[in-house]
Amino acid sequence: MNSLRSPGSGRKIPRTIVIIPAHNEASDIGRVIAEVREVTAFPVVVVDDASSDDTRELARSAGAIVIPLSVQLGAWGAIQAGLRYALSRNFEYAVTMDADGQHKAGSLPAMMQPILEKRADISIGCCTRRGSRLRKLAWGLMKGVSGLTPDDLTSGFRVYDRRAIKALAGREATLLEYQDVGVLFMLQREGLNIEDVEVEMPPRNSGISRIFHSWTSVGFYMAYTLLLSLTKRQRKARL
Amino acid sequence: MIPLITGILGVITAATILVLIRRDHLHARYGLWWMGAAFAFALLGIFPWVFDELAVYLGVAYAPVLALMLAIILLVLKILVMDLERSRNQVKINRLVQRIGLLENDLRALQKMRGNEPGPYGRDELQD
Repeated sequence: MNSLRSPGSGRKIPRTIVIIPAHNEASDIGRVIAEVREVTAFPVVVVDDASSDDTRELARSAGAIVIPLSVQLGAWGAIQAGLRYALSRNFEYAVTMDADGQHKAGSLPAMMQPILEKRADISIGCCTRRGSRLRKLAWGLMKGVSGLTPDDLTSGFRVYDRRAIKALAGREATLLEYQDVGVLFMLQREGLNIEDVEVEMPPRNSGISRIFHSWTSVGFYMAYTLLLSLTKRQRKARL
Repeated sequence: MIPLITGILGVITAATILVLIRRDHLHARYGLWWMGAAFAFALLGIFPWVFDELAVYLGVAYAPVLALMLAIILLVLKILVMDLERSRNQVKINRLVQRIGLLENDLRALQKMRGNEPGPYGRDELQD
């Protein structure tokens, strides 16, 4: 499968939407949307997480649907708004990707494959080569404590099917802070299958990681995630 | 003298709670807790021997320690209940913010369909 341009491409691609959470991403958002539209005919929804720059206007002029959040909710809160939109519009699949150019739209065909072939309900774009020693240490610790198996637990580059969208759009998922361990536990509890897909992730064009940019934020993130892992871990991980 | 002072403090606290509820600064459901606290404050201030008796009954050698321990337990419980409520409220706020964003997008689409320029929504109207 080389293309996801469903109209006229021969193969019928079910209704899919691309969700991009964005906070002050004016420098990259236009290009990221253009890249997605080059590869797919899927509608692109940018959830503007209370940006103070022109992210909203630039996303609109690049042809995206914009859901403007009036209070900053963080990446997961923004993604969940997009998933609620997908649910309300009866989309079958939702792709989530970052607005900073780290996630390449060219990887989408490969990421959609396990879903379209019904091997998995969620696919995660993994790039375990990336990242600092700090990030790798965090991954190892989180995997050990949580019992979850996806290689790149923190990757926000994912494809969700309808069941996953429904589970994650609910009230319970609103309490989560990040789109990683807590989300994966919820999906695990729903009995959904997750498949890793190795993808390329170049360094982000601008900005910094919201988590891995200082020891304080990493400390909070790790403590939060480990507590979540200890409290939500199921006896037998099914992932 | 001390029973009188603590008793008066309890009555003042109770009166303050009533004024706060009357002026709509304090929700009545939270006022109930604080009225209970003020009442206990006044009662134990005026009749301190209640605690002395209770301490003897429970085998606590020094009665004020019992009072402090109970106060700390109740305060910790109160703070825990407050955080539970904060969590519930945070969920409500987040979902409302998401819903407003979704509705704003729908409204914009409708206005465009009718040929109207979408309304000017200030970027930060909910930030305050």
